[in-house]
Amino acid sequence: MVSVCCYFQVHQPHRLRRYSVFDIGRSRDYFDHRKNAEIIAKVARKCYLPANAVLLELLRQHPEFKVTFSISGVALEQMRDHAPEVLRSFQDLVATGRVELLAETYYHSLAFLYDREEFREQVAKHVALVQSLFGVTPTAFRNTELIYNNELAHHVEKLGFKTVLAEGWDQVLGWRSPNFVYKSKGTGALKLLLKNYRLSDDLAFRFSNRGWSEWPLTADKYGQWIANVNGNGQVVNLFMDYETFGEHQWEDTGIFEFLRHFPAEVLKHPDNDFVTVSEAAERYSAADEVDVHHYISWADVERDLSAWLGNGMQQGAIQELYRIGKAVKGMDDPDLLEAWRRLTTSDHFYYMCTKWFNDGDVHKYFSPYESPYDAYISYMNALNDLALRAKVRGASGFLSAKPSVHVAGTVLA
Amino acid sequence: MLGWEFPPYFAGGVGTVCHELTRGLARNGVHVTYIMPHGPDDAASKHVRLLVADRAMQRLGVTTLRVKSLLTPYTSANEYEARYAQALRLNPMDAHPSTIYGKDLLEEMYRFAAAVLEIARDEEFDIIHAHDWTTIPAALALKRASGKPLVVHVHITEFDKTGGEHADPEVYRIERDGFQAADRVIAISEMVQRRLVRQYGVDPARIRVVYNTVEYGEGPSGPRERMTDGERVVLFLGRVTLQKGPDYFIEAAAKVAHVVPNARFIIAGTGDMLPRIVERAVALGIGHRVTFTGFVGREDGDRLYRMADVFVMPSVSEPFGLVPLEAMKQGTPVIVSRQSGVSEVLRNALKVDFWDVDELANKIIAALTYNDLHAALREHGEGEIRNATWDIPATQCVRVYREALGT
Repeated sequence: MVSVCCYFQVHQPHRLRRYSVFDIGRSRDYFDHRKNAEIIAKVARKCYLPANAVLLELLRQHPEFKVTFSISGVALEQMRDHAPEVLRSFQDLVATGRVELLAETYYHSLAFLYDREEFREQVAKHVALVQSLFGVTPTAFRNTELIYNNELAHHVEKLGFKTVLAEGWDQVLGWRSPNFVYKSKGTGALKLLLKNYRLSDDLAFRFSNRGWSEWPLTADKYGQWIANVNGNGQVVNLFMDYETFGEHQWEDTGIFEFLRHFPAEVLKHPDNDFVTVSEAAERYSAADEVDVHHYISWADVERDLSAWLGNGMQQGAIQELYRIGKAVKGMDDPDLLEAWRRLTTSDHFYYMCTKWFNDGDVHKYFSPYESPYDAYISYMNALNDLALRAKVRGASGFLSAKPSVHVAGTVLA
Repeated sequence: MLGWEFPPYFAGGVGTVCHELTRGLARNGVHVTYIMPHGPDDAASKHVRLLVADRAMQRLGVTTLRVKSLLTPYTSANEYEARYAQALRLNPMDAHPSTIYGKDLLEEMYRFAAAVLEIARDEEFDIIHAHDWTTIPAALALKRASGKPLVVHVHITEFDKTGGEHADPEVYRIERDGFQAADRVIAISEMVQRRLVRQYGVDPARIRVVYNTVEYGEGPSGPRERMTDGERVVLFLGRVTLQKGPDYFIEAAAKVAHVVPNARFIIAGTGDMLPRIVERAVALGIGHRVTFTGFVGREDGDRLYRMADVFVMPSVSEPFGLVPLEAMKQGTPVIVSRQSGVSEVLRNALKVDFWDVDELANKIIAALTYNDLHAALREHGEGEIRNATWDIPATQCVRVYREALGT
């Protein structure tokens, strides 16, 4: 028997506007509201609405069909504010009782790496939002970009979650298959589900690649590959960005047709069924313990943190961000705290990545900015304004100028 | 190859490009004979046969007095007249009108054409490669006389020099005739390519883009230099003319000066806008923060790059713009205007629209202030040009030759 476990990630950041050094001390308006609303509307049109419609239809057709979503808090609030019909369509899916929602950091942040208290607060805030919008309480957790190690598993268990997700990366699995349920080293009953990245990436990355030997990928063929796991595994974890459907793989690639036929092709094999993340964890006992010391993620070929923390700009910016966190919270100013938290979203650091940019592979570089340098400049300028508001001053190296630099009459160096 | 200048007898960037390009061609098996209008009798170069038209003109019985030329390929005919008049005022002894050759630029070009025909009679060659409009009359005459294919290499057009206004109709006519008669036209950027198509009606199928580059070689030609009093240096290096945008630089400098009290602005170069820029600096209250160096040679230029914390090229219209690459070679982060050909290829540079003074100031301040940004631009900028060599444009030119020759 093979259980197929589909988990789709939904996330949209609050992108910054071009925030100039001359805005520091003058404007508290850091975010590009119009662009963010436009992007939500565009992705809703291309992906969320049509894909949700397909899924709802599939849930009606196939009583065995189930899916799991994780929707970041910042994505949910942008839907609520700019695309309420999208939020309703997700609520309709969850109301079927066969769609599970995961918990994550509200701001899709890297807080676990820098500020454990903030991490817990963001998780609690996300759980509260999911409860209020959907009336369900998540029991499984996925960290931003599937960033994971033993320590994360330990913390997630302490927060009361029963299941955690991670990348099924060869370097941590060794000879073992991702197609079983595992447990993390150093935890009790917490279950660990590992992404089958080959089968997941066949859809997420290779589906429309005409140079791929398996192109075109039909639901029939894909269903057969999944059936082949029979005898070698129990659960096939297909984890991917939801934007795969219609946004990364455009409609004209046939991705929606694929999705429409996918459940029937899986269920054609009588031994197969669908499970949500928590069902998989409940149904199957842990086959083995996985020991992960260094952080892994689901990003890039490296599966590490280098997409967000690979260069000096990224590291410098995130260190400054978390360094002023205490002062921000100490101001007891909800607007200030909200702005600071929106700056914890991982995308801001991703935009500063120079890995692909320097290879000249600019087209794959998915960013609202012309370059990682532009991303960094707007971010640091906005952070400097936050620092002013939080009355953080004199702390060494904030603006990293030598010697001191005066901004809007205040010494920040 | 027909050119107007060649190091060390040159006035600007096109001479440098010709020098480096011919070296790259020589390394790739092309024998280049380079003819230029004037230079010393013993003008010589290791990798090309350098011929100076002066001597041919003498053989033709034209008596010339060798004077420092007033001509550069950048000069419009109008500006030439002004400089000519100025020269007369400044050097009355040298400037007896009947003995200065080329009373105006156009006349000198046609004399050059006559000389080239005379010289080329004894030369064997397969293809004519001409640089910019000043060599076009000579190139067309040579093409007619020899029947050899012609490649015109466009570094700048009359439209770039004049900003599209008051373009000299005679210069435009010469350019258009040359571009349209050429078997292939090499544009040094897509920006130039667009101009050739739109303003000169050149068939896009006959245009090839070959970007300029730098010879990275051993990298920086010396250690980084620091201002002794800890000042942060923002550098402008180039002709102080409308095209190069020094006025936008000085406006941005004033905004930067308010935020970064230890910023020093260096304007290296001369040009007709210099007095205006000096006056503007004073009016903006930053006269004491701006240093004007006048014209700087290559070595001093490299030193200035190494002294600068950030180099700015705010050109209004720059067909390519080599200087940012020179600055990056010396390890200096650069800001370039999007209205430049080099911005089409540069990745690890900050880019601005030349008119957006606030954004230019924002980026200068960021480069001076955020050390992680400065370090990233330096590191990745150097990485980007570490493998730069003129072999690349040279082999692209060879491909264009083959197309023109039909081989």
